[in-house]
Amino acid sequence: MFMCKDVVENIMDYIDKELDMETLRELEKHTGECPECKAFVDTYRRMLDVTGKLKERPSVTPEIRNRLKTLLKSKIDPC
Amino acid sequence: MDSGFLRKLINSVTGRRGKPGGLEKLTDEELLKIYVESGQEGAFEELVGRYADKVYRLALRMVRDPEKAEDVFQETFTALATKSHTFRGKSKFSSWLYRITLNMAYMQLRNVKKLRSTVSIDEYAPYDENGTLMGKIMHKDWSRMPDRVIYSKEALSVINKIVNELPESHRIVFHLRDVEGMTNKETADVLDISVPAVKSRLHRTRLYLRDKLSDYFYERER
Repeated sequence: MFMCKDVVENIMDYIDKELDMETLRELEKHTGECPECKAFVDTYRRMLDVTGKLKERPSVTPEIRNRLKTLLKSKIDPC
Repeated sequence: MDSGFLRKLINSVTGRRGKPGGLEKLTDEELLKIYVESGQEGAFEELVGRYADKVYRLALRMVRDPEKAEDVFQETFTALATKSHTFRGKSKFSSWLYRITLNMAYMQLRNVKKLRSTVSIDEYAPYDENGTLMGKIMHKDWSRMPDRVIYSKEALSVINKIVNELPESHRIVFHLRDVEGMTNKETADVLDISVPAVKSRLHRTRLYLRDKLSDYFYERER
């Protein structure tokens, strides 16, 4: 019998669409009947959206770029 | 180090000269080959442009200190400039560059008193011994909260803090996979671990993060 634990342990393959048909069918049947698992899947998906936003920052500032330039310069002319 | 070579490099980093046309269409490996064989600064500039933010983010995720991250950033691109001929093409250029970044970060951390992670998530699971979900997941469901709350600066800071408290082994896997969007295989190559090990660490990390985010959004709305 498919349980909440099975939803959790198959969630990565479910999101990546790598589940076999039988497991996929059972997982979707279970989440259709279990509101806790439905909320688990929904919040898991939302979390992936949010954590993907971490890519937008921080970024390298012009100051950091300039300091890299200075570092390289100092290697040419240490004095 | 050869001065002429370094002068070219400085120009390329600061982007004073215009990019020769067409470089942006080349692969990383093709750019590196051009740079190694002809010293063409445009090729180096294109690589810096593609990877500066990614290298800095990875460095910061490792050392968790902006000043030290900048040191790692500088050392990584200096190594790229001076050791690019050592790239053998056995892995993707990006994997090779990230490995350099991680090595520089490890050296940076050598002299730092190791901060012990207070979080242990190797066995983390949100269900009880009967396989039933715990933690009032439906009660704390935040999936339909407005974007302005979920993507707020405060929420992203909280996520960053949670991630930075993770054990290093899980933190870096999460960063490469879920922040930088690398595949399991690419992540495994960078870290020299197996794909199942990547998937296992990522799985526990995501479960932990989902729970922590649920707690955060639930408390915020109370």
